[in-house]
Amino acid sequence: MSEVATVLQLHDLDLLLNEALDPKSRARLKKLGFEVQDPVVLQRARARLLQGVDRRWVNHYERALKRYGRAVAVVRDRVCQGCFITLPTSASPNAQESLTVCESCGRILYWR
Amino acid sequence: MTLSLGPSVLDSSLYIADLRPKRKESALADLVSRAHEAGAVREPSLLRETLELRERLGTTAIGKGVALPHARSIAVIEPRLMVARSRRGIDWGAADGLPVQLVLLALSPPEHSEEIHHEFVARAVAVARLQRNRQKLIEAPSFEAVAAVLREVSG
Repeated sequence: MSEVATVLQLHDLDLLLNEALDPKSRARLKKLGFEVQDPVVLQRARARLLQGVDRRWVNHYERALKRYGRAVAVVRDRVCQGCFITLPTSASPNAQESLTVCESCGRILYWR
Repeated sequence: MTLSLGPSVLDSSLYIADLRPKRKESALADLVSRAHEAGAVREPSLLRETLELRERLGTTAIGKGVALPHARSIAVIEPRLMVARSRRGIDWGAADGLPVQLVLLALSPPEHSEEIHHEFVARAVAVARLQRNRQKLIEAPSFEAVAAVLREVSG
């Protein structure tokens, strides 16, 4: 799996993990009739994913996650959808760096 | 912000009249593949993985032949509700042991809060819980009929 794909998977997994760990969220899901078991399976998957990402990006990811609750922001029309700043051309991913960070908010950017 | 089960989340290209797989992993793969073809999601392999992770947390089958898989994912572009039926039934690991004949897949983009996503899922659950609604959805002859049922019962 590429580093970009791994970071995106980590993003989705953390959303799911938040749901599973938050008592209010668990209660809502159970009330709707869903099973929500111990999230240990997600925590193991998270640890495995982190092993596939360079330490530098893990640090960026964890910092943004702690600060905003989500560490990855989609880029639409060159605008970071996390902080809504227009990104400079130099912020685009290139052959050397497939991952980039928003210089304004620090979220990892997902260019699509 | 609340999402009604109307035209903003429904699309005829996201309706599957008869899901062929017998296993839920294959059924989820078919659903994601259709959503990708319809332009509702990017990164289909990511969404498939996220839905499978959700299932590992506990089955999304709620009994009486209904499953409501759901995801808030960066792979999702806009909120969508996919509706699929299975004539022969899918083994979804439901607590009542019944095979799933009706699948409602609720997809939210990550920009939607957890509360908004849960409210969206709750609307779909509320529709599927009533026996007469389930029957109407399973027996509906077309997407238009399915959409009419959802519109009518979810307000």
